Amino acid sequence: MDKTAVLDLSEALERADGDRDLFLTLATLFLQESPKEVAAARRALSRQDGAGLMAAAHKLKGSVMEMCAPRLFESARRLEELGRQGDLAEASSVCADVEIRLAEVHAALRDLIAGGFPS
Amino acid sequence: MNLDSIPPIAMDPAAPTLPDTFTATILLVEDELVTRTSMAARLKRLGHRVLEAGNGRTGLDLARREKPDLIIVDWVMPEMDGPTFCEALRRDPVLKSSQLLLMTSHDQPAQIAEGLARGADDFLSKAASKQEIAARVLAGLRTSRLVRELETTGDKLESSILLLQRKQAETEADLQTAATFVQSLLPLQGSPIQGIALAWEYQPSLTLGGDLFGVMAIDADHLGLYILDASGHGVAAALRSASLMTFLRVENMLQLLGSYDPEKVLFEANRRFPLSADGEYFTLWVGQLHLPTRSLSYASAGHPGALLSSAESPSRWLTRASSPLGFDPIARFDSDRVSLKPADRLFLLSDGIYEVPSPGGELWGRRHFQDVIDAGRNTSLAATISSCFSEARRWQQARQFPDDAAVVGLELIGRAEGESRG
Repeated sequence: MDKTAVLDLSEALERADGDRDLFLTLATLFLQESPKEVAAARRALSRQDGAGLMAAAHKLKGSVMEMCAPRLFESARRLEELGRQGDLAEASSVCADVEIRLAEVHAALRDLIAGGFPS
Repeated sequence: MNLDSIPPIAMDPAAPTLPDTFTATILLVEDELVTRTSMAARLKRLGHRVLEAGNGRTGLDLARREKPDLIIVDWVMPEMDGPTFCEALRRDPVLKSSQLLLMTSHDQPAQIAEGLARGADDFLSKAASKQEIAARVLAGLRTSRLVRELETTGDKLESSILLLQRKQAETEADLQTAATFVQSLLPLQGSPIQGIALAWEYQPSLTLGGDLFGVMAIDADHLGLYILDASGHGVAAALRSASLMTFLRVENMLQLLGSYDPEKVLFEANRRFPLSADGEYFTLWVGQLHLPTRSLSYASAGHPGALLSSAESPSRWLTRASSPLGFDPIARFDSDRVSLKPADRLFLLSDGIYEVPSPGGELWGRRHFQDVIDAGRNTSLAATISSCFSEARRWQQARQFPDDAAVVGLELIGRAEGESRG
C-alpha cells in the first residue's frame, strides 16, 4: 500500500473483489458514518475520557481500513493508542490530524462518486 | 524436477467435504456499519445467506430465532463485546454448540487465548484476504455440520435408550406377574396331609424359574409328589414347566390314569411331552406315598432324584438311571418301592442346589449336600433346608445361584395312627 496516498484505489478495489458498485456503496456509508466517530472522539477528549476516545478511534479505524486510506488509517491508529494510554494532551493534536486527513479522504471519495473511477 | 511426472492428488470421495456452492446461513454481529456492509458483501459473494446485527443483544435474538450455521462476531463493540457475546451464547442451551468466529484487528497471542477461553472457535482478522476468509468460513461450516450431525445422532440414541428402558420395565413387570403366578402354584408350607410336615425353599436363577415341584393329597391315604426340571432357561423354559405342572395336577392324573402311580404318570408324561423342536426336554421324579403303610413308590425320568434321610442309617438316594422325558415315545420308567419309618425325612431337590462351582471351579456336589442333610437330623426341617442354601452360597461365594435351586423336605410325623390303620 502506498503509505502517502490519500486513497489506495487499486487496493480498495481488490478488497471489494473488483466490485466498483460495492466500493461506492461503502464510500457513501463512510461519508455518512465517519464524522460521527470523529465527533465522538472530540467529545471524549473534552471530558478527558481515554476509554471513550479509544473506542471512537477504533471504530473509525475499522471503517478507514475498508476505504484503504493509509494516512488517515495511521492517524486513527495513533489516536486509538493514545486513548488507550490516556495521553490526552498528545491525543488532542493527533485528533486534529485525523480531522484534516478525514477531510482529504472525504473530498477524494466525493470526487470518485461524482466522477467515477479513473480508467 | 519434472512437474508433469507428479500424479494429481486423489480426492477421497467419502471425505466429509462441502461443495463450493454450499449455502449456509451466517450471522454477522458488528457495530461498525462500513465494516459490516463490506464483510456481509464478501460472505454473500461466497454464496451464503447473511443475517446482520448491529449489537450483541440483537445478535443473540437473531441467533435464537434463525439458528445460523455460523456466527461471526466483532471483538470490540459497546455494551456487549465479542467475548461477552461468546460467553452468553455458550450458556444458552439451544445455541451453546454454535460455531463462532471472533472478528478482530488484534492478533496478539494473549488476546487469542482470551478469546478461545471465553468461547470462540476461531478468529477472523478484519484485514484477512478473500481466500483466508473463504477458508476459515468453510472450516467453521464444516465443523458446524459435524456438530449438528453428532447432536442428531445423540438425540436419537437417547430416545432409543429411553424406549428400551421402558420396554425393559414392562418386560420385568410381566415377568414378575408370571413369577407370582407360578409361585402360587407351588404347595403351601406346613402340612399338606395329616402326618406329614412340609417345608421348602426355592431360588430361581432368573425372575421366572423352570424347576417346579408339587406335593398333593390324592385321597385320605395317598400323597403325590413330584419335582421337575426343564432344560434351558428363561421364559420359554418356565412356560414349558408350567404346562407340565398343569398336566401333573391330581385331578388330571386321576381322570387320565385312575391313579398317581409313578410308572403310569411318567409313561404318560413321556408320550405327551416329546423333545421340543429346539431340543429342549424335561427331567421328572414322581413319587406316591401310601400313608397307612408309609410305603413310597417312585420313578424317575432322568432326574437326579430324591434323598431319604433316616434317624438310624445314613441318608440314601432314591433314583435309578433313566432317560429324560420325550426321547423315546414308548419308553418305560420302572418304579421302586421303599418303606419309610416315622421321623424319616424325604428331600426332593433340583441339581441346581449342588451343581454350584467354587470360585476355583470345583463343584459343591451331591456328597456335600448329603452331609448337610445328615448333619441336620437334630434341627428342624426348615432349618436343615436353609442350611443347604447357606452352605451352597458359602461354597460359591455368591448369593445368586447359576441355575434354579429348589429343596423340598417332607417329614413323617405322628406314628400311632398310621400304623394302626396299616
